[in-house]
Amino acid sequence: MLGQTVVRQGSDFVAFSKDEDIIITDEDFEKFADFFYRKTGIRFDESKRYFVDRRLIERIKATGHKCFKNYFTFLRFEASGKELQNLINALTVNETYFFREEYQLQSMVKRMLPEIVSRKKPGELIKIWSIPCSTGEEPYSIAIYLLEYWKDIDRWDVEIIASDIDTNVLEKAKKGIYSERSIKNLPNHILLKYFAPLGNGEYQISEDLRNSIEFTKVNIVDPKETKRYRGFDIVFCRNLLIYFDDLSRKIAAENLYDAMNPGGFICLGHSESMSRITPIFKVRKFPEAIVYQKPLEEKDK
Amino acid sequence: MPIKKQEEKEEKLVEIEQERRRFQRDFEGLLKQLSCGTPTERRWAARDLADYKEASKPLLDQLLKEEDISVREAIISSLLKIGDEIAIQGLIECLRSDDAHLRNSAIEALKIIPEKVESHIEKLLKDEDPDVRIFAVNILESLRHPKVIQWLIEVLEKDENVNVCGTALDLLAEVGTEEAVSAIKKAKERFKDEPYIQFAADVALRRINAGSNSC
Amino acid sequence: MKKVLVVDDAGTVRMYYRKLLEEAGFEVHEAVNGLEALEKAMLTDYDLYIVDINMPQLDGYSFLQRLRGSEEFKQSPVMMVSTESEEQDKEKAFALGANFYLFKPVKPVEFIKYCKLLTGVSYE
Repeated sequence: MLGQTVVRQGSDFVAFSKDEDIIITDEDFEKFADFFYRKTGIRFDESKRYFVDRRLIERIKATGHKCFKNYFTFLRFEASGKELQNLINALTVNETYFFREEYQLQSMVKRMLPEIVSRKKPGELIKIWSIPCSTGEEPYSIAIYLLEYWKDIDRWDVEIIASDIDTNVLEKAKKGIYSERSIKNLPNHILLKYFAPLGNGEYQISEDLRNSIEFTKVNIVDPKETKRYRGFDIVFCRNLLIYFDDLSRKIAAENLYDAMNPGGFICLGHSESMSRITPIFKVRKFPEAIVYQKPLEEKDK
Repeated sequence: MPIKKQEEKEEKLVEIEQERRRFQRDFEGLLKQLSCGTPTERRWAARDLADYKEASKPLLDQLLKEEDISVREAIISSLLKIGDEIAIQGLIECLRSDDAHLRNSAIEALKIIPEKVESHIEKLLKDEDPDVRIFAVNILESLRHPKVIQWLIEVLEKDENVNVCGTALDLLAEVGTEEAVSAIKKAKERFKDEPYIQFAADVALRRINAGSNSC
Repeated sequence: MKKVLVVDDAGTVRMYYRKLLEEAGFEVHEAVNGLEALEKAMLTDYDLYIVDINMPQLDGYSFLQRLRGSEEFKQSPVMMVSTESEEQDKEKAFALGANFYLFKPVKPVEFIKYCKLLTGVSYE
């Protein structure tokens, strides 16, 4: 069974890995789960025990530790916070593909955009930022969703900027070539309309779409880089902040706040929450999703 | 195609730069903007002042009267970046504030730079205000220091305030070691009429004793 | 079953309240600070909020202010439980719309008595 044996030891269920006896006791799991919940907002209950234990044991071994206790001390106190990031990576699913977290895109066209345009004058531009854009699935998804599902798309001009710190993924995004894995969630008529099959199982997104999005390199934690970005109505910052240390997270969120228009919306990843980051945004609940909003009025002193 | 790249990039950048030069972007100008501008201007000033070591005091002064939460957070971020002794002392003083948001923001800020708070921690743990002692124990949570367990043990053995001890027990549930067991039992004895202390102590003991052993 | 949201940054405190409340027949949810509490409040109808004052990101008073600022939550029962023990802290809480205020650490019988009172559960 995947190299694991689960046995009962007293009142504990413990998982033994095949080659070494690294044990995660019930108490260890509880302690770890509390710590992880506090740091990230993600809860693991008993039903996730096997999943968590396995990945914990992997990380314990990968960092050269022989038991949970020493690993946990290391995890808690490592100055760079890198191990916590590795652990979060191991414990969260982080795949990018088209129409990922579609409920947010639905919320965008049904709720956020109507509110935004109600405050705009005709002819004003709508600006959307996808950061990190990675290999482009997200910004292209946004564009397609707007074209296909936003009833007012013909009445407004939209600018989509897609940014990432990694120039390799930006190059891939500009080329717009994707595997079957990436496009698996797309309805067929959308695939046909916006993608051209390249014959080897890959698809390329249309030239029109590739030309309509601006791809830029940005370090979200550096205010000197982000201060050039202003006036955004919607920001998608999904599955990035959770991997940052506390200070970088706070600074990045504040940089995004500065880049947004009052009343603008920001969407995080499905297992992320501003509650671990900053209180400066308002929480808004839409039927499809919880999103965050930069407050509307700026009360003067 | 309604989705389009905007061509007028250069003009946009110039426009942004001009707007930001409405006030002089030098130190004096930024200070003025920090106290007199709109919330957006105050926030920008707070951010830009992170580049000036001398900005700690004016940032702290503004922090004490600032009502806009986004400006407060920007000030704190800048104080953390500057991170000099004045900034640290100032944040520590905020622990005594009547303003709950300010107090708690200060704790969070100090937890982000624990290495800079180390030299103050022992004094804070013995502060005459029990609330300050509670906050000092909160800060221990992020402190990587060989004496953390010892400090928690001292709290459990000597601190008269039940909530300070309760906070120490909560932290020991996460970081407690064998070393702390006898002090935990002592706290149970000292606060034998406090059900929460009994509960919290039992959680810490359970975690220490039934956790995986060291290797 | 009445639903209670316990809001406190200390894990052991939340565990303690959970134990007492579950024994008394309540369904318990948790949040570590006022901001997480607001998010949860939007997703679930709670019969009672038990709220600490000193918490990271969003303290108890700020939470209360934001909660009461929304029509939906004007009537939600809120019990503040805090180490803040000055009269003025209590007054501030009531001025912001708290229904009750207990000092930490709470005594089980009293705590449950008031939880039941605030949620309209008969006290036996």
